[in-house]
Amino acid sequence: MPLSTQSQPENDEYILIASLDNVRNLSNILKAISFKDHAIFNATQNGLKVTVEDSKCLQANAFIQADIFQEFTLKEDVVGFQVNLTVLLDCLTIFGGSTVPGVMTALKMCYNGYGYPLTLFLEEGGVVTVCKINTQEPEEPLDFDFCSTNVTNKVILQSDSLKEAFSELDMTSEILQLTMSPSHPYFRLSTFGNSGNAHYDYPKDSEMMELFQCTKTQTNRYKMSLLKPSTKALALSCKVSVRTDSRGFLSLQYLVRNDDGQICFVEYYCCPDEEADEE
Amino acid sequence: MDCVTTGGNVKVLAKAIHSLSKIGEELYLEPVEDGLTLRAVNSSRSAFACFLLSPLFFQRYQAPSDHAFRCKMPIKSMQAVFRSLSSLERSVEKCRIELNSEKNRLTVTLHCKHGLLKTHNLSFQDCESLQAVFDKENCANVLRAQPRLWVDTVLHFPPSLEEVNVSVNGERVWLRNHLEDDADPSRAMMTELCLSAEEFDHFAVRSESNITFCLKELRGLLVFAESSGLPVSMHFDEPGSPVVLSVSDSVLDANFVLATLSEDAHQRNHNNNKADRREAQPAADDFMSDDMDSYLIAMEASDLPGDLPGPSHESVPPVPQSSTNHRARLPSEEEEEEEEEQVNQPPNKKFCSLFFGSVLPASSQLTNQTIQGQEVLASDSDDEKQEE
Amino acid sequence: MKFRAKINDVGCLNHFTRVVNTITKLTKTCVLRLTVDNMYFVLSGKVANGGVSMWCELLQVNFFEEYQLEGVSADANEICLEVAPENLSRALKTAQNAKSVKIKLTKKHGPCLTLAAELPSLSSINRIVTHDIPVDIIPKRLWHDFKEPTVPDFDVSIYLPPLKTMKSVVDRMKNLSNYLVVEANMNGEMNLKIETDLVSVTTHFKDLGNPPWGDNASQSQSQSRDAEAMAHARVDIRKLQQFLMGQQVNPNKSMCNIVDKRIIHLILLQEDVSLQYFIPAVA
Repeated sequence: MPLSTQSQPENDEYILIASLDNVRNLSNILKAISFKDHAIFNATQNGLKVTVEDSKCLQANAFIQADIFQEFTLKEDVVGFQVNLTVLLDCLTIFGGSTVPGVMTALKMCYNGYGYPLTLFLEEGGVVTVCKINTQEPEEPLDFDFCSTNVTNKVILQSDSLKEAFSELDMTSEILQLTMSPSHPYFRLSTFGNSGNAHYDYPKDSEMMELFQCTKTQTNRYKMSLLKPSTKALALSCKVSVRTDSRGFLSLQYLVRNDDGQICFVEYYCCPDEEADEE
Repeated sequence: MDCVTTGGNVKVLAKAIHSLSKIGEELYLEPVEDGLTLRAVNSSRSAFACFLLSPLFFQRYQAPSDHAFRCKMPIKSMQAVFRSLSSLERSVEKCRIELNSEKNRLTVTLHCKHGLLKTHNLSFQDCESLQAVFDKENCANVLRAQPRLWVDTVLHFPPSLEEVNVSVNGERVWLRNHLEDDADPSRAMMTELCLSAEEFDHFAVRSESNITFCLKELRGLLVFAESSGLPVSMHFDEPGSPVVLSVSDSVLDANFVLATLSEDAHQRNHNNNKADRREAQPAADDFMSDDMDSYLIAMEASDLPGDLPGPSHESVPPVPQSSTNHRARLPSEEEEEEEEEQVNQPPNKKFCSLFFGSVLPASSQLTNQTIQGQEVLASDSDDEKQEE
Repeated sequence: MKFRAKINDVGCLNHFTRVVNTITKLTKTCVLRLTVDNMYFVLSGKVANGGVSMWCELLQVNFFEEYQLEGVSADANEICLEVAPENLSRALKTAQNAKSVKIKLTKKHGPCLTLAAELPSLSSINRIVTHDIPVDIIPKRLWHDFKEPTVPDFDVSIYLPPLKTMKSVVDRMKNLSNYLVVEANMNGEMNLKIETDLVSVTTHFKDLGNPPWGDNASQSQSQSRDAEAMAHARVDIRKLQQFLMGQQVNPNKSMCNIVDKRIIHLILLQEDVSLQYFIPAVA
């Protein structure tokens, strides 16, 4: 990659170097969680985890495994920093993020440790862009303590079937109510808006339903405003796993296939709406 | 009430609702023996639209036999049910509309592929019947054409254009953009389209006339006509009496009734157009021929604005602003309504809302809603209040 | 004063439409200057439009089948009109599949450019659509404002990279900053740079080449320059974005002249059309 390295630190000064032949493999998955500016980056030998949170009630994580990158070098066990995700996405897509086959933007992402900017070298067709994004010390992400042993109900759906529902949801409804049950209505999305209420029922034997493991009827409400950003992840994904635990916490796991057919995951956690019990 | 429709008719129903949403904010729904009626009226009551879907349109159709039921609801809520036309076509197999009287809800159920069931329980309000009085059969002029022709015609005018002027003689139709009263004609771009009678499936002009009406509602009907491929008829008379745009086939009827600008408001705008046309139009056929000198101006740049009027131009007689005769209202009514209506009234009131025998008491409705003559059209907007 | 012109060829019509669309994206109003050989769209750098100026030149013979002009007088055989290009663009849009389009100067309520198109129809009789586009006729004494701009005494002249790439870069930079620095040297290198509290971004283009200007241009100055030395100008990023966004003419050559800290001068060249755009530098 013909990168101009004038006055840049030498490669061996960086504590993190991650390279991609196709920047879309990173930018796309970051778009799926870009609903707030602050993103916490956490790199380990396994790869990169990027976390975005809202109102202490919603957390989204994107995982990009180390083997997705052509180069992934880490000088320390854990490297963490915080950057402005909107700015980062503008930088990553500086060449337009073309989907034309054969036209790819290569990326080399470097970080030199606390107090240094995150440096991006992007190259497409011989043109090089160098970006330096200010970093901050990472905040500690919330721990939603969502543990698979506490999962009450779980379904796996093909994303297409939920995409339609989410695109039609009545946004005048403040909440989205989710009912999961071993008996009718099995899997139901409900809204209560200005013009009335609506229910979307998915039968458990539908071809769209890849897995149906519901042990107990559970009805929980989630703030629509919190769930809305997850449609970005839904749009990119091919499958989604919907789980609730005994506390009514919601976990949405999206399986995303990148341009090269590799699989990445995006995960959303959402607290139930507190007023749910009163109604 | 319980109606079930399947396959392609679900899309027709969706398009009808979409098309009504271009008219007004509320959907009036009334199942009658002849079928399901869906109606809308605009805020200034100068446009009314009605679809009648006959019982044969449905796989099952049950109108309430014992009592008359009618309701209205925000059209947006019904539109939301049919929001994505592509998903309708792709996945909806059956649509059922039923009245749940206990819960006071209208339930629309969409049965989709893969067993997905979408149930919408919509709240509604009781209302009186909404009915416009019009008589399209006795209109002097009828033009009928394929939707494509209308769509291509409307395309020449910008989306921001509110009103269009249509004039006809035995051989041609002209459409022009209508200028707002306060617009400066020397600053506005004027567009005129001339169509030959031959392009129409049916062209019956008994009286040369020149009317002006809102384009928005015509566009609304075209949404429906284009998707159903049904020809659109336009029935009209002299300025001031409504123009009726209609579409029909064996299982449905749609009528859009639009007020036209009354004669004097109209003349102000189009007198000179008319005059222009009478003289200039003979040249229209050989418009592209070379003899264009008479159109060219000869003026000295320094002497602007031009002091040499073009040969084909007649100056517009100045019309004092006070001669406005848009809407015959009594002053007392004006005052009373001021507060309540200001919000709903569109800025220009030049279209009469007079052609409605809109909201009659339910009992008299059925007998009176039959087509009435022009002379009883002067129902006033006071009636609007009774309906609430 | 008379003007009429006619396009019969659909290719010419499309080409002309693209030029007008490009102008429409650049300015709300401009001056249309008609001479015997050329048609010009001109915007002179007034403070009101952010000091931007534009000069677009069309060789009429390549667009029009017929072209007749009788100017203000024998010694000033041209016409200057002020027109909203958007109106022209809208009129041309409705004439897209026309068999022929005629443009003439007419007198309606006021002076107009009348565009009449003969459209295909379902019958033997053509549909005719006419648009009367209001114009202001500019008196001769004001013409001096609309003369062809001289090529500025630039420090660096360079060919532009593919405009599509440049547009992507400028679009993203626009999200990050209000100002952008354009810098280039006589070694075929150009950089686009932004810098804010959050981020600094620099896009490096190289091997772009430097156009050979004739003896009469300010070549002397640029030749004596150190080839590596950058000339630069900081500009309002929206002005540059506007230029790249509206661009529909697909130029054979596109270049940029920079007068250090003063102005950037962008030039797009096609066989029969040229567009020049001047963006003043800001401090």
